[in-house]
Amino acid sequence: MDPILEVRDLQTHFFTADGVVRAVDGVSFDVYEEEIVGIVGESGAGKSVAAKSIMRLVEDPGSIVGGEVRFKGETIVSFEEDENGERTESEEMLSNREMRERIRGREIAIIFQDPMESLNPVFTVGGQLREFIEINRDVGESRARETAVDMLREVGIPEPSERFGDYPHEFSGGMRQRVLIAMALACEPSLVIADEPTTALDVTVEGQILEQVADLQEKYGTSFIWVTHDMGVVAEICDRVNVMYLGQMAERADVDSLFHDTKHPYTDALLDSLPRPDQTVEELKPIVGVMPEAINPPPGCRFHTRCPDAREVCRRTNPEPRDVSGPDERTHRAACLKHEEVFKVDYSASAPIENETSAGFDVGRTSTDTGAVDADGGVHGSRGGADE
Amino acid sequence: MATTGSTEDDVLDADGDVGSLHKDDEIESRVGWRYTLSQIRGDPTALGGLVVIAFMSGLALFATVDAVVFDILSEYQVFAQYGVRKYWIAETFWISPIKEPLETPRLLPPAPLENVYGQGTWAHPLGTDDRGRDILARLVYGSRIAITVGAIATVVGMVGGTVVGAVAGYYGGRVDDLLMRAVETLYAIPFFILVLAFIAVFGTNLAFVMVGVGIASIPTFARLIRSEVVSVREKAYIEAATAAGVRDRNIIRRHVIPNSFAPVLVQGTLQIGTAILIVAGLSFLGFGVQPPTPSWGQMLSKSRAVMIENVWYSIWPGLCILVTVVAFNMFGDGLRDALDPRLNN
Repeated sequence: MDPILEVRDLQTHFFTADGVVRAVDGVSFDVYEEEIVGIVGESGAGKSVAAKSIMRLVEDPGSIVGGEVRFKGETIVSFEEDENGERTESEEMLSNREMRERIRGREIAIIFQDPMESLNPVFTVGGQLREFIEINRDVGESRARETAVDMLREVGIPEPSERFGDYPHEFSGGMRQRVLIAMALACEPSLVIADEPTTALDVTVEGQILEQVADLQEKYGTSFIWVTHDMGVVAEICDRVNVMYLGQMAERADVDSLFHDTKHPYTDALLDSLPRPDQTVEELKPIVGVMPEAINPPPGCRFHTRCPDAREVCRRTNPEPRDVSGPDERTHRAACLKHEEVFKVDYSASAPIENETSAGFDVGRTSTDTGAVDADGGVHGSRGGADE
Repeated sequence: MATTGSTEDDVLDADGDVGSLHKDDEIESRVGWRYTLSQIRGDPTALGGLVVIAFMSGLALFATVDAVVFDILSEYQVFAQYGVRKYWIAETFWISPIKEPLETPRLLPPAPLENVYGQGTWAHPLGTDDRGRDILARLVYGSRIAITVGAIATVVGMVGGTVVGAVAGYYGGRVDDLLMRAVETLYAIPFFILVLAFIAVFGTNLAFVMVGVGIASIPTFARLIRSEVVSVREKAYIEAATAAGVRDRNIIRRHVIPNSFAPVLVQGTLQIGTAILIVAGLSFLGFGVQPPTPSWGQMLSKSRAVMIENVWYSIWPGLCILVTVVAFNMFGDGLRDALDPRLNN
């Protein structure tokens, strides 16, 4: 079965006064029909930017500078290179108008993080829902109204026809998020991108909404990309997971293999920093240090400054996620050199790097500073080397 | 603030309870007209302004029907046979504001008073002008020009300024630079001179005067709404609308402008006062409304020559302009207070 969404080596950079921020730097993943794909990572890992890039919603000073995004045979992002290596947007890319008329809302919908801000305060909730249905489904006002009321009922708003005429401020945060979910699903898109939709809600409501989304997903057969920093949410809702670190993909696997057969030290560290119902530990281990800034990523593997398994070779080579799956596993990719049989590097012969807990922060900082030189090309050079 | 405030309520809501009201409701519901009006009702200054505006608008409406609507209707045989004509109501029940009466003394003072021209009579409670016409009648019919001009000029400026400012603010970058620099060029020229330039180009027709005053006020509105739009366009609901495939045009029209309109509305109310003043000034200089159509500015201008002998002739139109302009300013200030939650409490 072909994936409905293919993202290949997507690069989205922000051109700021301080330099180029490589928010998304070569990310690839697929979404198949009727599955929920998670994108997990710490704040600043580039999850949201990656999600917005799929819809081409990245705003100035950011822009998509490379890679490909294909959705059901349509080319959302594509670049071609001329003989000088200059990249230009390829002609098969959908125009902004086509994006607006064919993709946004109709085929791919997005649910944003902040339910309090995502509804226009001067119009009624029902009016906004109706407007979106009218635009994206080509139906008349009364038909759109019926659909809107049905959708509100569907997402669990009590007395939907009475609440239809209420303004957003008359809804609580949880109910507003339900409205936004209704809005996303109302036009029966093939793919919904949920950008941390439950982060602003408390856990009780979060649980209810996750359950509701799972039900609706089953009913409509919609695919989801679920962006979150919460491994608990991932475990609950996702079929497959992509773990992002500093604009790149660290690990990609089915949710079960990711939790029980973790193959990247970053994912390990993320899981160790969370309480887990299936494991009893003395104390939680937070990840050492802070994520370096994407403006000056460290050379080599981006996680080596905080990685407990880092070796000298990690400073030189930035691995891409490769298939490291075991014999009876679906594709499990990890971007870590410790799988040396796959990456063909001398990992075990290389000297370990000390990343002490106390020094973690400083190490991260120093490396980012030295990384500045390499950032302009060195990183990709070494990436290419690892591909051999 | 809003996020933390609401999470406690969510637990209740999720069980199926009807959404409870939040603390920030009062602030957010300022979008409702009912709330705005209730704020104004509690503000005596604004209420006073509103009453005067309503009174003046009532007069103007009556005068417009009598002077303009009947004039148009009189063209048709159907109405003309019943005697419909310009100033029909005024002449039938009262006195013509434009015809020079043959026997009435000129420049009479208000009713009980006396001056060199004679004793005031109750037939002309505010006195007569330099051609013996009733001043009260002319004031009533002059209100039509003041209110119409104020409203139309302001609407022209408001619509023009809102479109320019919203487009500039929403798109930003080059579009913003181009539009705002063009608008600021207008801003650099003194208002009055700009309007005079329009009149010089297009003629002294009242329509051009109104449009000219409107265009000259575009910069004020454009700058005002642009500064609001720049912050509104970053709101999540704008991004959500973009993501839902709404056209830019509709985003600006339905999402950007309604959320940045409050200061424009306030400025608009204040601008009506300014426009009235400007057009009165132009009439004073002889531009704008041409005699015999009565207007306050023109009456003021005519009264100049006889100010010493009959000071009342100057006082009445001046007072009308003053009261109307002040009323619009009072109402505008009240509206600002009602629409800006930061000034509340």
